[in-house]
Amino acid sequence: MRPVGFSTTPNLVLRLPMWRSRLMLFMLFFVFMLLLIRAFWIQGPGNAFYEAKGVRGTQRELELPASRGKILDRNGQVIATSLEAKSVIAYNDTVPDDLAADKVQKLASLLQISEAELRKKLREERKQIFLKRQVDPEVAQQIKQLEIPGIGLNNEYRRFYPEGEAMAHVVGFTNVEDRGQEGMELSREKELAGHPGARRVVVDRLGRVVEDVAILQLPQNGKDLQLSIDSKIQFLAYNAVKNAVEQHHASAGGAVVLDTQTGEILALANYPSYNPNDRKKLTGEQLRNRVLTDTFEPGSTMKPLTVAIALEKGVITPTTNMAIGAKYLVGPKPITDTHPYGNLTVAQIIQKSSNIGTAKIAMNNLSAEEMWNFYTSVGLGQAPKIGFPGAVAGTVHPYKKWMPTDQARIAFGYGISGSLFQVARAYTIFARDGELVPLTIERSPEFKPGTHVISAKTAIEMRSMMESVTEPGGTAIKAQAEGYRVGGKTGTAHKLVGKGYGNKYRAYFAGLAPISAPRIVVAVMIDEPTGGSHYGGDVAAPVFSTIVSETLRTLNVLPDSPIKQKAMQDQSPTQIQSAAVKTNTAVLKR
Amino acid sequence: MNRATLTLLVLLLVCALSLVAAQQRARKLFISLERAQIEERKLNQDWLRLEYEQRNLSKSARIRDVARNQLHMVPISPERTLYLKEAR
Repeated sequence: MRPVGFSTTPNLVLRLPMWRSRLMLFMLFFVFMLLLIRAFWIQGPGNAFYEAKGVRGTQRELELPASRGKILDRNGQVIATSLEAKSVIAYNDTVPDDLAADKVQKLASLLQISEAELRKKLREERKQIFLKRQVDPEVAQQIKQLEIPGIGLNNEYRRFYPEGEAMAHVVGFTNVEDRGQEGMELSREKELAGHPGARRVVVDRLGRVVEDVAILQLPQNGKDLQLSIDSKIQFLAYNAVKNAVEQHHASAGGAVVLDTQTGEILALANYPSYNPNDRKKLTGEQLRNRVLTDTFEPGSTMKPLTVAIALEKGVITPTTNMAIGAKYLVGPKPITDTHPYGNLTVAQIIQKSSNIGTAKIAMNNLSAEEMWNFYTSVGLGQAPKIGFPGAVAGTVHPYKKWMPTDQARIAFGYGISGSLFQVARAYTIFARDGELVPLTIERSPEFKPGTHVISAKTAIEMRSMMESVTEPGGTAIKAQAEGYRVGGKTGTAHKLVGKGYGNKYRAYFAGLAPISAPRIVVAVMIDEPTGGSHYGGDVAAPVFSTIVSETLRTLNVLPDSPIKQKAMQDQSPTQIQSAAVKTNTAVLKR
Repeated sequence: MNRATLTLLVLLLVCALSLVAAQQRARKLFISLERAQIEERKLNQDWLRLEYEQRNLSKSARIRDVARNQLHMVPISPERTLYLKEAR
């Protein structure tokens, strides 16, 4: 046996097969290659995903809020404004399920809902849910102090209308999304609406903004809108209509005040009205802007227009004497007057509001075509273009379809329809020496040229006839205004109920003042007055009187009718005058 | 290492430090700008609120009530008014 030395071992003589180490080496190489490829992928072509992730961690997109434009009256007084109001949002996946009972209770009472309802809302599947929108600032503060995780406050705007009911139909209102729903809020939505912007920022670990990356879109605030409405005049017109409606137990009423020089609408009042600040009650009849959207048969307020055509044609003069009689037969039903008259002059026909007289003027002197042309040229049968939603056109049937009986009745305002606004507009021709004035609801205090419809001579003659309506012997003595000469025309129209005329009436008065240099046109309508008189001269004329005297005073128009100066209690007029002159000079010296 | 390299190294260091300082300042300024903008918004909202309050206090209905009931005033009428002509 061969001896075995210490330095050798037979095991070492054995050689491992080469392939095993090669395999090992290859596998190591392969794994490293995989890592290399992966590293290359992440840094190269597949980078976008990680970059986006990184950006998401540090950058945020924030909304830049924009506010809705204000609505102002002609004197710059706010009539609609947007104020910040917080909305309460629940992020349901963040709100803990085991929320302390007292916190739930407190939150529910702050939101004015029951606890059960709140719990139900918090359990809903949706990720986020509005618990309540547009809460008061104090409530928002208290909710913040509760520090419930997952309950957040969101900035929103809420619209406020300081004038409330008096201005409701003019401004309209917005919905909870801040979009216009009625009135100017609706028709000028494009200009008023603000467009929120967005920006990208870098935030730190705690969510604080540390750097602006880019402004993605600039916010655009809505434009302010200035109306021609005067809040003072609007308020007094609204109150005058409201009082009359209540006094005569009427169903509704409306009034419109126009500036004859600038064509601006100074007031547009409707009753019943609503409070646009109270969003729960914004439905139903009360929303109707009756002055613009209700058409009616204008009745006797039509007579001055008919007479004006005949005067313009030169076939009659204010002093032309006419036989009236008790009945006038055109067609199957005779035309009658409230009182039978013997002979009347043309001026008296207007003053006494004789149906027969007006019908005779039309039938004897005018063709249907002439009448149709005239009524159309003063805006009847066309919707007024003042940018109001729902303004109606009324109906003037084509003259070729008029039967003689139609023509006779249209002459005194039956078988034709229009809105109170249209009647007021048509009356501007008498105020402006024969010119029809373009009307606007936006402030534009410069003189507007109108379209010529009748001659100045006819307009002046009509004015004096209309003034006689308010003088003794006329139908509307109650239209007289303190300090000012006024003129106008009453109207009392039977309301169409179903197919015939029922026992319901509409009382109107449309007129202008002061007669010496007309500055305003005012039209008043009281619908279905009950209890007592239903005549325009008794119901609508007093409203006209109130509105005219107060409006002209507000506009600083000098009285044109003689006034008996009441003795002042402690000073004679001359003393006051000298005192006033002194103050005036003092003011001037300053 | 010669002199030029040394100068450049110092310059580089100074630049690097000032860059850090500038960035820090930019962030600080940005944060104060942010605060000022939030303040501006808040003040703007306050102004709108005050304007609204003023309007509420000065609306015709309130003036009428205060004048009639608290100050016992009566509406003016032409017969109690003295009209002065403007001197030409």
